[in-house]
Amino acid sequence: MKKMYSNKLVITSLVLPGVLLFVFAILAPICLSVYYSLTDYSGMGSWNMIGLDNYKALMRDEAFFTALRNSLFLAIGFICIQHPLAIIVAAVLDKLSGRGESFFRCVYFIPNVISVAVIAYLWKFIYNPNFGLLNNILKVFGYKGTVNWLSAENAIWSVLVVLIWHGFGWGMLIYYSGIKNIDPTLYEAAAIDGANQKQTFLRITLPLMKPVIQVNVTMAVISALKQMETVYLLTNGGPGNATQFTATYLYQQAFKAFRYGYGNAISVVFIIICLLATVFLNKIFEEREPERRGR
Amino acid sequence: MEKTGKKKMSAGKVILWGILIFVAVVQIFPLVWLLDFSLASSNEMFTNGLLIIPEKIQWGNYVKAFVDGNFLHYLKNSLLINGLAVVLVLLVSIMAAFACLRMQWKLNGFVKTLLLMGMMIPIHATLLPNYKIYSTLHMTDTIWALLIPYVAFSLPQGLFLMTSFMSAVPAELEEAAVMDGCGIYRIIFQIITPILKPSIATVSIMTFLNNWNEFMMASTYLSSPKWKTLPFSVLEFTGQYSSNYAVQFAVMALTAAPAVIIYVILNKHITKGVAMGAVKG
Repeated sequence: MKKMYSNKLVITSLVLPGVLLFVFAILAPICLSVYYSLTDYSGMGSWNMIGLDNYKALMRDEAFFTALRNSLFLAIGFICIQHPLAIIVAAVLDKLSGRGESFFRCVYFIPNVISVAVIAYLWKFIYNPNFGLLNNILKVFGYKGTVNWLSAENAIWSVLVVLIWHGFGWGMLIYYSGIKNIDPTLYEAAAIDGANQKQTFLRITLPLMKPVIQVNVTMAVISALKQMETVYLLTNGGPGNATQFTATYLYQQAFKAFRYGYGNAISVVFIIICLLATVFLNKIFEEREPERRGR
Repeated sequence: MEKTGKKKMSAGKVILWGILIFVAVVQIFPLVWLLDFSLASSNEMFTNGLLIIPEKIQWGNYVKAFVDGNFLHYLKNSLLINGLAVVLVLLVSIMAAFACLRMQWKLNGFVKTLLLMGMMIPIHATLLPNYKIYSTLHMTDTIWALLIPYVAFSLPQGLFLMTSFMSAVPAELEEAAVMDGCGIYRIIFQIITPILKPSIATVSIMTFLNNWNEFMMASTYLSSPKWKTLPFSVLEFTGQYSSNYAVQFAVMALTAAPAVIIYVILNKHITKGVAMGAVKG
């Protein structure tokens, strides 16, 4: 039996497809990116090695830091607006039992299964100053005039609203299944001790949800960093660089501004930032882990 | 005393229902609006109300969207590419999970960590170099240009879920199979795989949801319509009919429809799958 389980040929045949995919689709491109980031390649013709010039330029690039600030803005928006809402709605939903529960869960999740392409164009129309839904709602409430939702000041908020709307069902569902995993006898005990709903929520639901909240917060930060599709179609980083994100910026630099080498330098820094953010978040949350494990 | 208590309870219930209904309206109204406008004519859109009652329901919008949007062609591509991606992710992740979890070799931990690293790499950082690789290898405009990155970027999550589910499968089962003379491949595909059914469902759903909506790689690596996927019926259509808004609404509704219909039908399973994947992840 042991011999069979350490057969090198069998092991190789089992892991090779995965390893090859990883090398070909992830590792090799990253290495290539590092190489091109050291060149002044425009995307066509010949190129020269220019050392770290691209990285030096990047450190002085206002637009790149705008992109990082926008990611931070999104992450804070997710954590302070989307997630509290999702937890509250999940807790309320948990209180209903029976038919309504699965109906609402289904309705909340529907935007999530719709293609980003449709979502982005749909919201472009919703924000449209001439016949858009939002301006029409304002009109119904008696507001005269039109709001330009995608102006330089408003655009980043408009992007945040779309992303919160689109991802709400996902976050809600994760919190909801976290709440469902809480032992119901705890609630019974709390009820016997005379705790009201607010106390139960703050003293039992929230503390026991900590691990779920940690996972969700990590995901929120990472997805804010990785944001591209919605922004690309909704505003394409504009107006100016108001809604620029790292991924949209590297794309523009490589394919629109023909600075392929520079785009690759952004890619490399982008990967490093994502890795650091993941490690950092795991570290913060790990520190509290031992207490929980000890129980 | 008891009466007021009951009244309070029902007032609380009303507030709870109020919250839930309000959120549901916010989530669903934009889609109702989309559907409504897709059945009107473009001239009717400049109204002051929220919804239009079209003078005549314009089914023609959908005909245009269906035909000129190349809907069937793109749908077929999407189904084919996503179906293949799901099968490949399952196959590769089950094999790799088994090798890293059960087989005895020195590098098992290292290989597993390496493959899981893919989860941290932002997909879009590989757009530029991958474009270069695929164009050098003449792979742009082929199905491989989508299939390879789709499988590669769904693999880490698949592997992660598979290993965590597989570690719960008791080893005694395999021992019995070895006694009966089963080889490794038969153990994996005839004994382990059937037990993993619920996790296979989870991985399939997660992979499908991730890739169904993807268009950034598709628009970078593909230029001809041959393998383009469903999002392109919207992306290309808006240029073609830039002033005919109603038809654009129709093409969006049509593009969103398959996923929404499948979701509503499989609602219970998808919810369970996502919840399971998320809790484990």
